[in-house]
Amino acid sequence: MRILKNKTDFDFIGKRRIAVFISSVLNLAVLIGIAVFGFNWGVDFAGGTLVEVKFNTPQTAEQVRERVAAIGDASVQSIGSEEENSFLIRLGGMTQLTEETRDLAKKSLEPFGLTSFIAQLDNGLINLRTKERVDPVRLREAVQGSGTGVNEVRSLGEVQGGGFEYQVVASGMADRIVEVLSANGQADFQVQRVDYVGPQVGRQLRNKGIMALVYALIGIGVYVAFRFDFKFGPGALVALLHDLVMTAGYYLVTRREFNLTSIAVLLTVVGYSTNDTIVIYDRIREVSGKAHGKSLAELINTSINETLARTLLTSFITLLSLTGLLIFGVGEIFDFAAAMVVGLLVGVYSTVYVASPMTIWIDQRRSRRGAATEKLAA
Amino acid sequence: MGRSWWTRFGIVVGVVLLTAWFLLPTYYTYFVLPKEQRSSEAELQKVLPAWAPSARHRLNLGLDLQGGIHMVMRVDTQTALQKRTERRAIQMENYIRENNLGEAEAVADPEKLEVKLTVADPAALPAIEKDVLATFQDFTRVSESGSTVVLALVDTRIQQFQEEAVDQAMIVIRRRIDKWGVAEVDVRKLGSDSIQISLPGQQDPEQAKELIGTTAQLEFRMVDDTNPWAADTFRNLPPTSESNIRLVNTEGFPQLEAPSREALLAYVADKAPADREVLLECVRTQTPTAGGNDCASYRTYLVERDVPLTGDSLVAADWSMSQTGAPEVNITFDPTGALDFANLTGRNVGRRMAIVLDDEVNSAPRINERIEGGSARITLGGAGGGRTYDEMAREAQLLSLTLKAGALPAPVTTGEIRQVGASLGDELIKKGALAVLVGLGLVLLFMALYYRVAGLVANVALVLNGFLLLAGLAFFNAALTLPGIAGFVLTLGMAVDANVLINERIREELDSGKSARAAVDLGYDRAFWTIFDANITTLIAAVILFFMGTGPIRGFATSLIIGLTASMFTAIVVTRLVITYLVHGRNAQSVSI
Repeated sequence: MRILKNKTDFDFIGKRRIAVFISSVLNLAVLIGIAVFGFNWGVDFAGGTLVEVKFNTPQTAEQVRERVAAIGDASVQSIGSEEENSFLIRLGGMTQLTEETRDLAKKSLEPFGLTSFIAQLDNGLINLRTKERVDPVRLREAVQGSGTGVNEVRSLGEVQGGGFEYQVVASGMADRIVEVLSANGQADFQVQRVDYVGPQVGRQLRNKGIMALVYALIGIGVYVAFRFDFKFGPGALVALLHDLVMTAGYYLVTRREFNLTSIAVLLTVVGYSTNDTIVIYDRIREVSGKAHGKSLAELINTSINETLARTLLTSFITLLSLTGLLIFGVGEIFDFAAAMVVGLLVGVYSTVYVASPMTIWIDQRRSRRGAATEKLAA
Repeated sequence: MGRSWWTRFGIVVGVVLLTAWFLLPTYYTYFVLPKEQRSSEAELQKVLPAWAPSARHRLNLGLDLQGGIHMVMRVDTQTALQKRTERRAIQMENYIRENNLGEAEAVADPEKLEVKLTVADPAALPAIEKDVLATFQDFTRVSESGSTVVLALVDTRIQQFQEEAVDQAMIVIRRRIDKWGVAEVDVRKLGSDSIQISLPGQQDPEQAKELIGTTAQLEFRMVDDTNPWAADTFRNLPPTSESNIRLVNTEGFPQLEAPSREALLAYVADKAPADREVLLECVRTQTPTAGGNDCASYRTYLVERDVPLTGDSLVAADWSMSQTGAPEVNITFDPTGALDFANLTGRNVGRRMAIVLDDEVNSAPRINERIEGGSARITLGGAGGGRTYDEMAREAQLLSLTLKAGALPAPVTTGEIRQVGASLGDELIKKGALAVLVGLGLVLLFMALYYRVAGLVANVALVLNGFLLLAGLAFFNAALTLPGIAGFVLTLGMAVDANVLINERIREELDSGKSARAAVDLGYDRAFWTIFDANITTLIAAVILFFMGTGPIRGFATSLIIGLTASMFTAIVVTRLVITYLVHGRNAQSVSI
């Protein structure tokens, strides 16, 4: 079986100016979109609490929203099919200590003779000092009475200059969600999954994610420049950046959660796209060895045509392998597969219409400069 | 067939056998062991034949597939460092006063971790400063002006402290998890200030946080070692033989000892005399493991119910080696604590005092005399026990860290918790398996149709690739996570790419008129470097992912790395072997491709 019976000779490179124009517009659109709308950051990067709840009775997102209204800024999103009755409930904080509850907690602690009150909202901790020794149990009751669940009250000992120090550890938000959903004795749900990510960790993960992408780009850029001629390097890098932007565009447009798995997708797309680019470059190298006198543009066109069968096949087969994930994948895995499909297609496109034009352009500038110097020298 | 063919054949056969061998523990886990015992490594080791690899090398399911909790705890060293600075300021003032060095006032600046020392007589400042710095070696001078000098905590000490704080927290966490009796727990350091904990099968993240994230309860209680309770109970109500409970006299008084905590606790429940309580001590193994339980056995202590002194009153604990080569731990109490301690020791000379951390006896040194001044030295046995310097130093260090865990709270807060319910896990496994099978099936079908016999050969290589990946994961004892499955599906695609490159090349050469044999050889030779270059770049991305990721992302990267390496082997070496045989070996004129 063959898909391309005869040698093809499409003029890909000829159409490159239009393609470059379209690509640039799309890329710009995505970048502006990111600046204006931003991604739908998952808890991995933004920090917060994410609870996946499955209800035994049919519910709509509206109904669930009403039930958690008591908490304030909880966002509710349904996932999976309708019969599954599963929802993702997302909250900004990790613990029950928020700005409002902190102030209430402070008021409730004043009767104990507070000399200092420092709240760390990020960690859900209150460090306080009192003049006299206080029974931690009473501190716990006071804070809980003011609306913040308490996990533990620790006694931190005596303080320089007199006084006693205590630390109140607030309970997590997931508890609150369960509490609120169970109001009026309702027990028609199960908690399937809970994700807490503290804001420091979130920031760390986000930075690590970006650094990983940067290192990957550098590593690959160096490798390509080393294995092929220098003029191929920039083309490969620009193509990769283009692929990253377009794949990120998938997340922008569909508003799917952008989390650690997304970074994994981006890195894989980088790998795949380079894979593709290298196959073409390799063929270009082989072809230029044999055909002298032909321009680089012609050589590239020939190479693309010669490897067309392979390019189409590999893309098709990889898509086949992702089909299973697309059909049966749920949640993150589906996102992963869908984004990979986008990245795959874009990766193939970018080799032809981003990397190659760039390489040709660099080559033309070099030869023009070369010709100019010749003219000067002559 | 030439000799090189047979060599390569031998290598391939060798790899296949090795793969099968490495997959034995996994096979036994899922097809031989009954379901309830699947997570137990000990059970697996029992059923494995002697010549199989150790039970450690088996494919684990990641937390997202078997359900469980993955936590990252952050140790808040900043608060603890601030308290230390404050304490040091008080200690400096006391020191200067007690040694009659002059009039001075020390004020702590916790934010900057600095102490400002102001003296009445500026001329005396240099001498006082020198003396103070010689005594309080964790400080260094920052600036000086007139009658004031500013001292700050030394950076290296700060780092050392941070490390110790994390170590302390790990000790406490391990002890607590040990109490749960959960199998397969993994506790390890992550970076410089975090601890990663994996709890398979646990369902309640709040409970996990509560039990793990809170400070240790340190208590000092008196041991009743004259009561014949242990021997009496053992004689009158002997324990069952399965519980492995024995009566020992290692410490000079009768104790009950057993390898299993639950068995021992069950046995002594309700048997303690009134106003006494039975607490256990963990007898550590010689080689602590990286993550998990390191108690070889447990021993009972009969302690008084009364708690005369707690860790609240402790302000410091440091360790050192005495001149006689015995490890010792020096502890310091605050003023009220010092008084309580003096009274306690005075009343109980000759008796043992148990240092209890989280209801577990950490050690029980003997009180030799009444101890005034709030400072005490705990000597931990001597060189005579046949232990090395390192072992003794380690014990002293552990005890001082343990004491500090109660005395110097470096709060442990939750950085991250991910919990997956078991039912969700099951569902994900089923769907994941289906996804892989569907993807694989489609690819195999297509390859056979498009490339005929060469396609079939590629399929064999693909399947072998899959098994190699599983064996690789088993060998590294890596966990299979859902992203790992996705990574596997991806490697399928890339492995096929290699075969496509080769086969298309062969077709090209055939088209240009080469003979079957020549076409095959040229196809493989030309395609090799392309495949190599392409795979290396994806490997670069995978390796970076591996180093920057944790948990599921790491699982994905591991899958990708092992899968890609395996695919280079199967796509190039294995398929070439078979096709070469088909073409050269049987003197064929054409190749079905």
